[in-house]
Amino acid sequence: MSSAITSPSAKTQALRLTAFLVLTAMVALIVATPFLPNYYIRVANSLLIYILLGIGLNIVIGYAGLLDLGFVAFYAVGAYTYALLASPQLDLHLPFLVIVCIAAFLGMITGVLLGIPVLKLRGDYLAIVTLGFGEIIRIVINNVDWLTGGPKGIARLDKASILGVDLARPVEIYWLLLVTVLGVGLFVWRLERSILGKAWAAIREDQDAARGIGINTTTAKLAAFATSATIGSIAGTIFAASQRFVSPESFSLQESVLIVLMIVIGGIGNILGIAAGAAILILLPEMLRELAEWRILFLGILMVVLIIVRPAGIVPRSFGPEKLIRGLFGK
Amino acid sequence: MTLVFSNLRKQYGANVAINDVSTAFEAGMIHGVIGPNGAGKSTLINMTAGSYTVSAGSISLDGRRLDGMKKYEIANAGIARTYQNIRLFDQMTAIENLEVCAYPSEVNHTWREVFWPPYGRARAKARRESCMEILQFFGLERYADVEAGSLPYGRQRMLEIARALAMKPRVLLLDEPAAGLNHHETAELTAKLAELRSPDRIILVVEHDMDLVMTLCDRIVVMHHGKLLFQGSPSEVQASSDVQLAYLGTDNDIDDIRAAAQDRRAQLGIRARQRS
Repeated sequence: MSSAITSPSAKTQALRLTAFLVLTAMVALIVATPFLPNYYIRVANSLLIYILLGIGLNIVIGYAGLLDLGFVAFYAVGAYTYALLASPQLDLHLPFLVIVCIAAFLGMITGVLLGIPVLKLRGDYLAIVTLGFGEIIRIVINNVDWLTGGPKGIARLDKASILGVDLARPVEIYWLLLVTVLGVGLFVWRLERSILGKAWAAIREDQDAARGIGINTTTAKLAAFATSATIGSIAGTIFAASQRFVSPESFSLQESVLIVLMIVIGGIGNILGIAAGAAILILLPEMLRELAEWRILFLGILMVVLIIVRPAGIVPRSFGPEKLIRGLFGK
Repeated sequence: MTLVFSNLRKQYGANVAINDVSTAFEAGMIHGVIGPNGAGKSTLINMTAGSYTVSAGSISLDGRRLDGMKKYEIANAGIARTYQNIRLFDQMTAIENLEVCAYPSEVNHTWREVFWPPYGRARAKARRESCMEILQFFGLERYADVEAGSLPYGRQRMLEIARALAMKPRVLLLDEPAAGLNHHETAELTAKLAELRSPDRIILVVEHDMDLVMTLCDRIVVMHHGKLLFQGSPSEVQASSDVQLAYLGTDNDIDDIRAAAQDRRAQLGIRARQRS
């Protein structure tokens, strides 16, 4: 595609073929997964959760250009909201959808609360403060035993159900996650192309010049933090509902780093890239189980190679969903 | 419409960059600000646009105080600027650089844009069309979907002015728009800027290129050591002995400088040809 010799029509055809193959593979995978054994469905669920988290964090990192290393905090907020409102812990048993709304709202509030103190920070400084924020949330959860059960966590969470339909078996969670990922993905993709998305890009490129054209960078950045945190929190709720158990272990710094890695390796600022990055970082470790303790070493080497070979990510920013669609319909 | 500086002062510690400058800029005219390096020309633009704070005095547009406002508020009050060193949003396309200027007026409809596709499409189309007109004015329409950072230098200069215009400004501040442009590009720029003269727009140009300033501007403000030395029409400025001494030098000096500049250009031209 990058070759200068190929004629425009050959290029369009190559693009159409790529688009066709990618979409067919995606649809085939999506349709086939429910018929696979439970183990595979669980892996797919884990993949979908990470894609959801990646889409959320990408708003802050990929669109607005703010390196946030504490994203897992919002994931924890969502998970613990479900754990507290749908378990014997406080003897509350609210319906799943109600909790999703509450968690989304709490996530948004937490996002703004984190956003306000870090508005003036960028780059390394922002990364350090958000990293601290993520750890604070985890440590608080670990220590407020009376509420969160401390390191033991909260068990025996309610089964999730929507309109009387139980969502507990892996395949049921799979459909829930799939619908959520597609919905959130569509929403975020449209958001990126909206005027707010363009303002985020301008802030990422040159914050001061963005102010110079009349962008209130404070509210635009807070909007990015809030949207991103809301998505993280919703992912946490679904995670808790699928595991029916939460403990602080699931919300370590390593998780935040993993999500950032997915974005960087997959292709920063591109939803398709995030899906690719998540696939590599979630599926490969599963496939490499044979290698036992060599697994992490192998994964590390792979990451180094990928970053050297494709510094802009597996799927670069320019190859977004709109390019796939245009490629397929030849416009 | 008038942009008024009254007793404007800018001080860094003991260093006074702008010293008690009072003047007014009327709409419908192109105002040039000239002066030797370090005279405080760019400082004036940076203070007006809110990039620098004002140490004393005031800046107001039609009686509305601009100093003390936040930078984005000043922009929303109708002040647009370009930068001495081009500052485009490099990884965005040329047209996106312009489209994003609609943010202040359209951000409140973001949710509608996201959740109601027909509205979103209509908005996107309207934005693109109005920005395409501006690009066409500058002859940049074929670069619309090219990343701004990959454009040739001269086009980037034009694009930056186009972006400022996309803000539909009442005051246009141009900080050395001809810097780094060749003869041909400077002539093109001068013609375009002349067309921008409008009864509901104040244009202020800080520039070193004397030919451009003298042909383009209706009124010239001469700065020297942070003070306002002289203001008047181009011919008055050229006739003023104060200005000549402070800035342009004597008639002979000008000829010498021109000759030296020509030599320099010739040398650069030779070198460029050798390289290619």
